[in-house]
Amino acid sequence: MKKLNILIAAILTLVWTPSQGQTEKGSVLIKNATVLTVTNGTLEDTDVLVENGVIKKIGKGLSANNVTTVDAKGKFLMPGIIDAHSHVALDAVNEATAPITSEVQMADVVDPFDIGIYRALAGGVTISHAMHGSANAIGGQNITLKHRYGTYNPEDLYMKEAPRTIKFALGENPTRVHGRGKNIQPRTRMGVEAIIRNGFNEALQYKKSWEKYNNDLKQKGATPIPPKHDARLQTLVDILDGKIIIHCHSYRADEIYALINTCRDFGITNIVFSHVNEGFKVAPELAAYTMGASVFADWWAYKFEVYYSTAYNAAILTENNVITSINSDSGELIRHLYHEAAKTQRYGQLNDEQALALITINPAKQLGIADKVGSIEEGKQGDLVLFNEHPLSVYAIPQMTFVDGVKYFDIEDDADDMRIKVSATDTVEPIFLKEHDHNCMHGVDFFFNNFGRSLFQHSH
Amino acid sequence: MKICTNPKLLSSLIVAVFFILSLKTHAQSDPSGSRRVTSSYAITNATITTSPGQTVQGATILFKDGLITAIGTNVTIPKGTDVLKGDSLFIYPGFIDGASSAGVSRPADPERPANFDSSNPSDEQAGITPWRSVLDHHDAQQNAIGDWRKAGITIAQIIPDGGMLPGKASIITFGSTSSTNILAENTALAAKFRGSRGVYPGTPLGVMAKFRDVYKNAELSYTHTKLFSNNNGLNRPEINKTYQALFPVLDKNIPVIFEVSNDLEIRRALRLQKELGFKLVLSGVTEVEHLISEIKEAKAVILLSLALPEDKTKANEDATEEYKARTARVKEAYEQALKQAAILEKEGIKFGFSTAGSKSGDLMKNLQIMIENGLTEKTALAALSIHNAENLGIQKYAGTLEKGKLANMVITTAPLFSKDAQVKHIIADGYVFDYETKSKKISSEKSNSSNGDIAGEWEYTSDTPAGSSGGLMKIEGSGSNLKGSITYDDPAGNGTAQADMKDIKFQDDNLSFSFDVSAGGMDIKVNVSGEIDGSQFSGQISLGEFGSFPMNASRKPTTRTTSKSLSK
Repeated sequence: MKKLNILIAAILTLVWTPSQGQTEKGSVLIKNATVLTVTNGTLEDTDVLVENGVIKKIGKGLSANNVTTVDAKGKFLMPGIIDAHSHVALDAVNEATAPITSEVQMADVVDPFDIGIYRALAGGVTISHAMHGSANAIGGQNITLKHRYGTYNPEDLYMKEAPRTIKFALGENPTRVHGRGKNIQPRTRMGVEAIIRNGFNEALQYKKSWEKYNNDLKQKGATPIPPKHDARLQTLVDILDGKIIIHCHSYRADEIYALINTCRDFGITNIVFSHVNEGFKVAPELAAYTMGASVFADWWAYKFEVYYSTAYNAAILTENNVITSINSDSGELIRHLYHEAAKTQRYGQLNDEQALALITINPAKQLGIADKVGSIEEGKQGDLVLFNEHPLSVYAIPQMTFVDGVKYFDIEDDADDMRIKVSATDTVEPIFLKEHDHNCMHGVDFFFNNFGRSLFQHSH
Repeated sequence: MKICTNPKLLSSLIVAVFFILSLKTHAQSDPSGSRRVTSSYAITNATITTSPGQTVQGATILFKDGLITAIGTNVTIPKGTDVLKGDSLFIYPGFIDGASSAGVSRPADPERPANFDSSNPSDEQAGITPWRSVLDHHDAQQNAIGDWRKAGITIAQIIPDGGMLPGKASIITFGSTSSTNILAENTALAAKFRGSRGVYPGTPLGVMAKFRDVYKNAELSYTHTKLFSNNNGLNRPEINKTYQALFPVLDKNIPVIFEVSNDLEIRRALRLQKELGFKLVLSGVTEVEHLISEIKEAKAVILLSLALPEDKTKANEDATEEYKARTARVKEAYEQALKQAAILEKEGIKFGFSTAGSKSGDLMKNLQIMIENGLTEKTALAALSIHNAENLGIQKYAGTLEKGKLANMVITTAPLFSKDAQVKHIIADGYVFDYETKSKKISSEKSNSSNGDIAGEWEYTSDTPAGSSGGLMKIEGSGSNLKGSITYDDPAGNGTAQADMKDIKFQDDNLSFSFDVSAGGMDIKVNVSGEIDGSQFSGQISLGEFGSFPMNASRKPTTRTTSKSLSK
């Protein structure tokens, strides 16, 4: 038996040759599934044909030549789950050294070898939003990843067609890191707002100086002097110009409403609030002025600002027409977001379609990719998960996960060791001993004194 | 007489005469005895590999004042030449190290003011000091240089230590300490993915962003400076030494040499290179197999690390099936790590070697391992000689043995990469360095010398810069199951301290182990290796960056032996 295992492992490593160059697109025909389209109801006994990475046809009695066919009779097919707030597959999370670090890019530190990607796939998650941490009022630029696990090239994971996004953070995290930790602004919620407003005002001046320079360049014989380059301010200019979606870590209703007002003052409409535990108090405002809220199903009380919380939050926001998603912010929760979505049926009686939208089309909208993914529709990308039971059932277990029509997870073909890269010197890698920490305050611990650590030991 | 009446003039005259005389005395005799008799040497009747793949038998090489003056089978030796008999010796071009840290120290971080703002530090506090020259933080006297010279390195590009942009590299020879040994200054801009703890930029995220920021602003500053010198009516440019230090990089006169520790860091350096367009050298490279096309596309110079991982799975010979299955991929990864040099050669990438991060004692051994794993001997030598000469742009005067090139050689007792090869002489900058060689013992003798048993108490002494010190090593067990402890003079104060001996290995009379010493809040890993002959040990004690020093030990007679001999 052991020998057999070794043999299987050996064969797997032979088969497991990572793709190079262009990202791989696959074709697959899934037959006779119960198709949960999310945007177009439930289709019984239906076939879905993916060709070259794109959903070509949805219907009955489909056939295709030279395409792998999966018999899905009695099984449930849903769109690939999308996690709007994750820190999986990142080498570094927080550049926690300045209150504004909008110049840093998570794309620079994507780690394609993170086993967390495979674990997410095993939980049906095909897209995650790899975010900067919440140490800074304005953090770094995030990157939307498609879970094309198996590549050595981080760029293969980038969802290149996704718009740019950026992390903001309000409340206790930035005030603790910078105010308490380093005695600089912001020390209070007022300071956080001032940091953001000052940042935008400086960005406007920066924009003007470059516009002047570029206009002067057009004058004949002119020799204008170039202003300083500042990627930090340029990124804020791009936010003001509507090119970047803000994803803001937040908890309290007052700070959420304050940032809504700041955004309105600066004409910003592309903003999503993350965590939003008191979002139910400002649901109408979130519905009117933002791209929605991305919440936990039932996670709270890990620090002072997260006490006023309710498991009905997602349901209340949904019923108030806020685009609502449920996120993981964790390498563990990402493995069962379908359970997290199902909790809204216990707390809030959302129907199946509403509950599934929380982890599919709604996060897709918040990431600006709803025209490409988030539902099973012809023309959309072939990101699909096949479940043994209805995904909102407590007995649901993902069977297969496809990204761009390529199967990246199959429960029948799930070897013990799915690492891509193995260290030559660690006979027991840390991943065997401990769950990876993937969270908002990753890597900022050393800024706190003992007082802070014991008072605020938490991770979001 | 008039002169005598002017005491002031007289005394200055006396001083001047004395000065000239004393100069002359120095020039004419050498009371220290360290000056060499002649600077002209010939090595006769040797097997000379003039460049990788080109070997002449029974040849003579002549060099004078650091320059090769003749080479071949028909060379007349002028008078006043020191002749070394080269019979049975093998001569190779001196090794060139693409990136070395030998003798380089890290400048102290500047003091932080009381109102220090960690979000907006000065460049120096952020580890951005591209204006620094490594030569200002280099100690040519350090033992590390002697260690590397003994391993064959005669020329090295030394890389400054510090933060993300620590300064500029220089090329030096490892010749006589009476010379400055500088071949070229400011040869590359060093860069590392090293953040400043608690200060912006603190992580790879910040380092990537800050690198772009510095580079783009250097470009703008360059534009402004040019505009200002060619036009009137313009504001003066704000002179910024960080940006100015980057101008030679913008001009593509010098490359950026990026220290990388894994394939993700290589990709990050390539990403910056693609965006900004500088000339790129990657040093300390260990993982290339998945990056071949990217490296070729970027035309990046590859300096492969001479360090190799240890085989961690080998130690467990009596491992269970479960262990073997679990570590099968670790073993595979280890074996793959040994093949990286061969992969580069097969792909036609002309790489060089860099020593930074590796140990001088491992150089030959690691090259042999790479050769066992598919690297040809020819390329192994080329990567240490002509390839690196080209990488550093010094091929005109270094890299091969030819008339008119600098006299840098490695001279061994057997063909270079054979197991029996021992370094007999190193010629660096025309200076001859001699090394003791040991005649190989016959294998039956070998096992007898210590009976494979090293357990017992050993008294050792070692000579370090701090003076002679010593202590006791206690070793227990046998075979692959050795344990021990070592005492040493406590660097923190008086008395002795004790540490556990780690990774004790004893094979073919070679003993090696390491132990940790904490000194001044810093942990230093001390490596010891050497040979055991009966009850004598002689070897080297290596103190990280500080270099290595001789160490000798002898075994105390055990009481058991005594009682045995008494009973006889």
